[in-house]
Amino acid sequence: MTEESRKQVTFKVQRYDPEKDIKPYFQEFKVPSSRGTTILDGLLHIKETTDSSLTFRASCRMAICGSCGMLINDYPHLACHSQIEEFKTDTITLKPMPNLPIIKDLVCDMTPFFAKHRTVKPYIIRSDAEEMANPSTTYAQKPAELSDYLQFTYCIKCGICVSSCPTSASDSHFLGPQAMAQCYRYCADSRDDGQEERLPTVSGDHGAWNCHLAGACSEACPKGLDPALAIQLLKRRLTARALGIGREQEPSSLAPPPTGIKDKVPFPEFTVKG
Amino acid sequence: MRATYLWILQLITGALIAILLGIHLALMHLDDTLGAGGEATGWTAMINRAGDGLFAALYIALLAVGLYHGINGLRGIVLETSPSPRTERIINWTSLVLGIIVFAGAAYVPVALLVS
Repeated sequence: MTEESRKQVTFKVQRYDPEKDIKPYFQEFKVPSSRGTTILDGLLHIKETTDSSLTFRASCRMAICGSCGMLINDYPHLACHSQIEEFKTDTITLKPMPNLPIIKDLVCDMTPFFAKHRTVKPYIIRSDAEEMANPSTTYAQKPAELSDYLQFTYCIKCGICVSSCPTSASDSHFLGPQAMAQCYRYCADSRDDGQEERLPTVSGDHGAWNCHLAGACSEACPKGLDPALAIQLLKRRLTARALGIGREQEPSSLAPPPTGIKDKVPFPEFTVKG
Repeated sequence: MRATYLWILQLITGALIAILLGIHLALMHLDDTLGAGGEATGWTAMINRAGDGLFAALYIALLAVGLYHGINGLRGIVLETSPSPRTERIINWTSLVLGIIVFAGAAYVPVALLVS
């Protein structure tokens, strides 16, 4: 690699160890960068070559696990999903995600985030307990019914929407865009019958009605979800339920067992025998 | 569901404010254009209007929806400061009492004029 294509950038990283430091401070590191180098690559370089005490979360390196959310140049991103080049600056400032407590350096405590996620019961709820426990077949669902909620299934629970939400910043009781988007995801699922259990959670003073529709969550989501839309759709469901309007939707029935399935094609024998 | 009902009312009062305030502004500022003689903002015209049952009802309705929309909105902003459940209860009751007092005080003039 030529010198021109491999330049040095400065990573200004917020450091904080609650056992040693009174308050967070910044430390600068030089990181080699070339085309395609991600922020996570830079952080791994620092950890491997300069300071092994630097603490951050990362796992899959491909924007699937949702571990490496952080504030990059004052905007929440996934470190593995952000290339140094796209920031068009020689100094990259890295901080932990706001609206969540800091554990150390760039690592946030996700406990309140997942606690709120759990309150909306993010799983299929049905009355046929026996079928849920010992499924005999699948629940029927048309492609159009799937498209009602499909985008919200792509949530990787990285917390970026919550860290970008201005309401979450001012109201620690606010349920947050992630939990409410997941509430909508399951309420809109035609196989689900748990809306009556979930809606009371999001109908309070710190629920869907407290969303200001700033849209910051939808803009920041690294997976392109629109949690702000989900919250507006939840408001529609809450209004319909409160006024007793709209049609009641029965959960989908069991799909008939598949018929006319051909036997599996047998695995071919190896032509080259040992 | 209490918050849901309160916020549905917030939406309804918002729409009603647009209508009632629109009537008020048209009356105050377009009276000449509408052929009402251009005296709508005068003292006598105002007192006469307040004595008219229809206008008194319109202004009392505007007062009620404006107060509800404003105080409930303010309450929502204050609740965003993550108060304790006890403080939340105090905020809710203060909003209600403040709304009733202001409504009673402000509605007194058109009601008194209407009665007299």
